[in-house]
Parts: sequence; structure tokens; C-alpha cells
Amino acid sequence: MSDQIREQELPGIGRRYSVQADGGEVSIVIHHSGRRDIYLADATGHRQPAVATLSDDQARRLGAVLAGAYFQPTLTRQIEAVVGGLLIDWVTVHADSPGAGRSIADLQVRRQTRMTIVAILRGEDDVVMVPEPTEILQAGDRVVVVGRPDDLDGFVRHVVG
Amino acid sequence: MTPTGPLGLLAATGGNSGRELVALGAALLVAGLLARAGRRIGLPTIPLFMAAGILTGPHTPGPVLFRDSADLGLLTTLGLILLLFHLGLEFSLDDLLAGGRRLLAAGAVYLVINLSAGVAIGASLGWGGREVLVLAGIVGISSSAIVTKLVVELRRLANPETGLLLGIIVVEDVFLAIYLALLQPVLGGVEGAGETAASVARGVVFLVLLVALARWGRRPVGRLLGTGDDELLTVCFVGVAILIAGVAANVGVSDAIGAFLAGQVVAGTSVAHRVQRLVLPLRDLFAAMFFFAFGLSVDTGALGSVAVPVLAAVTVTALGCVVAGIIAARIQGLGPLAAANIGLTVVARGEFSLILASLAIAAGLDGRLAPFTAGYVLVLAIAGPLAASRSHLLARWLPARLFPTPAPTP
Repeated sequence: MSDQIREQELPGIGRRYSVQADGGEVSIVIHHSGRRDIYLADATGHRQPAVATLSDDQARRLGAVLAGAYFQPTLTRQIEAVVGGLLIDWVTVHADSPGAGRSIADLQVRRQTRMTIVAILRGEDDVVMVPEPTEILQAGDRVVVVGRPDDLDGFVRHVVG
Repeated sequence: MTPTGPLGLLAATGGNSGRELVALGAALLVAGLLARAGRRIGLPTIPLFMAAGILTGPHTPGPVLFRDSADLGLLTTLGLILLLFHLGLEFSLDDLLAGGRRLLAAGAVYLVINLSAGVAIGASLGWGGREVLVLAGIVGISSSAIVTKLVVELRRLANPETGLLLGIIVVEDVFLAIYLALLQPVLGGVEGAGETAASVARGVVFLVLLVALARWGRRPVGRLLGTGDDELLTVCFVGVAILIAGVAANVGVSDAIGAFLAGQVVAGTSVAHRVQRLVLPLRDLFAAMFFFAFGLSVDTGALGSVAVPVLAAVTVTALGCVVAGIIAARIQGLGPLAAANIGLTVVARGEFSLILASLAIAAGLDGRLAPFTAGYVLVLAIAGPLAASRSHLLARWLPARLFPTPAPTP
């Protein structure tokens, strides 16, 4: 299996991009009109492939989903940004995390882990900016932390488990 | 009487124009509904638009919408111009060169086989030299419109042979452009060697100028057309297409090649993508009128007299395409199914055969060309797609020893 995406011009129609996936080949045809066709051929050959047709708009949304803009499969360390030795990261608290149901003061986050919680994303669109020490972490909270990169592992162990 | 002749419909004001409008509207509706019915069973639109013209024309029983295809005059000329303009717009030499030598070889093999078939048929019918020359193109050149639509609708875009198949169509398009440029002086029937040379020279100079404009004139043309407004862009690019086609017709090269090169000129500009989108509804409408008008001009009584040549030509074309498909598949290292898919898809004939026949008729060549081409296109435009969708049946019959190398697994 290879990560290579093969590209081919289809004169008069558009371009085709193919990638060898587990158990078959996925081909995306981008028409000049913006229409996208997705072909799935099983490993045995190309007979009667499954085809889905998407509009330009649908294809862009699907592309964003594939790229992980909406949801990331690994729950820790989705986004990690290091700026001049400072790390900003974002971890999710589970129901069985040591931090679930405890306040920030109770966890002694800053003293124990040398990291600072700068925001909590709760539910669909609730954001707690610069939470008070009394703020209680809940299962499902996405916690944005700032600190030194070396300290992140300790923070994850202490709060997320 | 309403004013007749090429400007008939356009000059009609008041008076009897109501009757012409009713006929025109009814014609489009009949053509559209017939094509819609055909779509349900997977038939392309071109033969059905033409069939609508035949059925409502003067040569068949039942209501007659138009007595003469000339009554549609300029409208059909616009169809021809927009078909070729769109082809020029979409056409890119880079596509051809990117395909490499295998593609060129496959395309050349296809053309040699099928053009020779056309020449052979013309010669065996005992037709004149000019007729044979036109017949080579009518029989030799596939319908880009039908083939492109077919591979999309048969869901074959991901197949290994599809790039090659579409490449063969591009090679045919290149050939068509050159062929159209060379054909007109021959069709023009200019008397005397000196006059012929002068007209050929004028045509060549004009074509060279247009090619140079397409190559180096992007900026000025882009600025001339460049407006953010779709309405203004549409009016301007249609103006450019018709103007260049008209000048081309005046200097003795055909309006068809003029329109093709106008498309090439616009293709290089910054507005090309928008024009590609805007031209489609116009092309579809006027091309439908062109096919309808061609149907009108077909004398169904004469269809009987050309039945044998038509069947012979259909058989030879089908064989030629299958052989070309086998060779193309071999060149690319593909198997029998790919060969059958290529051969049975490129066999479709349509707009180009009809355009060439209409040019020939306009130039006063043998009148049998019209019924011959109509019958030939009707059969291949309908049987071609039906055969292409059942290509696996042919693939089973192709002997495996024809394909020595197994299909490479990419």
C-alpha cells in the first residue's frame, strides 16, 4: 500500500486522483464543472465500481471532514502549537479522568504540573475563558492549556489520565 | 409570405411571424421531449434532435413545422459556430502532449484506420473526389460530445483505459481542426489554379493570424472581454465568436474553423473558465436547432437508396473502431475489456459528421451525402452507446492471445 496519489488528466472532463486504499482503489474525479465523482473499486478489479456524485460545495465539506476539521479520532494532542518555547495544547477530559468532577484549585494544576488552563470548551459552543480556580472540570470538557512542552505529559497524567 | 432565406426568422416582424414562432417553439419542444424519452433508455440527444427534424419535416407524413431547413437560417449557423467555438475553448494542446507517445500512437492508429475506411467506402460507391474527401471525415471522426457523456454516464472515469480513450478524442479534435482548415478551399470549388492558390494563401494568412492571436494575444483579448459581469461577458464573447467565424467565411476558410480558433483565442484568456460555463446553455440550444435543421433537410425517400452504403459504412466503422481499440489497449498494456470499452465507445458518430455533411451540402456536393450521413449518424449514435454499455460481451469474444502482456496493476 502506498500513500502516493496518482493524478491523471481526463481531457474534456477534468482530473482524476487515485489512491490505493485497504481493499481497493479510491478515485476522485473532479469535473471542470466542479462536480466530483468518487469511485470505489475493490481489489479484484474495476468491474461495477461504486460511485458517489457530489457537488462542489458538498465535496469541500466532505474534504474538511476527511481532513479532520470537525472531529479528530485521537482525543489527546490534536492541536499542538509551540511558539518560542511556549506550548499551547488542547486535551479532552473523560468521565474516568482523575480531573473529572474536581476543581482547578483542588487539582493544584499550576503547582503540580506547571501548566496553566487558559480556557475550557464545554459542549457545542460554551467557552469558559480564563477559568476561576473554583471551576469544576467536567467529562467532555476540552481544556486549553499553556506551558512548557516538557510539562505536557505530566499535565495529561494528572488531569486526563 | 414571411421573408424567407437565411434571415427569415430574424427579419420576421409582425405579419406572419406568429406562425414562425409557433413552428420554432413546437420544433424545440418536439426535439426536447423526444430526446428526454430517449434519455430514459440511455440514448444520446443528437440523433433524437435530428429525428425530430426528420419527423416534422416535409418528407415525412404528419404535421410539417418547417418546409425548408433554410427557414431556420442563421439560427442553425449559430449552432455550428457555438459547437466549434466550445470545442476550441475546451481544447488544449497540453492535454495532448501530456499524454505522451503512446497516446499519439493510439490516436494516429485510430485515425489512419477510420479515415481509410471512409476513403474506401467513398471510392467503392464511385463518388467524386471531393465527396470522398468529406466522407473520410464523416466516417473517420467520432462524436466528442457523445463519447464524453458516455464515459461519465457509464461510470468509467476511474477505468484504466479512460485517459487513453479521451486522449484519442483529443487527437481526433486536432485532426478535425487541421482537416477543416484544408477542406474549405477544396469545397469552395474555385476555378483555375491561380485563383485556388490565391484563396488558399488568403486562408492560410488568416489562420496564421488567428493562431498567433491565440498564442500571443491573451492580454489584449482578455482585456477586451474582461468584465466581472456575466451578462456583458456573454454578449462580448458571442460577438467575438461570430465575428471571427464570419471573417473566416469571407476570406474563404470555413466559419467552422474560424469559430474553433475563436474558441482557442478565448481559451488563453483569464475569462476562459467563465466563458466555458456561460457558453454551455447557448451551445445546447443552438446546436439542438442545428441538428433539428439537418433532420429537416433529409429526404427520407432517398434514405432507401443509401441504405446499403450506410450499412456498409456502419459495419466497416464498427470493425475499424474495434481493431483500433485492440491496438490502443495493446499499446498501453491493457486487456480485452479495455479494448472493447475503447472500441465501442469511440464508434459513436454525431456532431462532427453532421457539421461536415452540412458544409458539403452548402458547397453543392453530391446531394446523397445528406441522407447518407443522417442514416449513418442515426445508426451509430444510437447503436454506439448501446453497444458501449455492453462492452463486456465483446470483451469475452476477443481472443486472449491478442493481449500478450497482462494488465499492469497500478
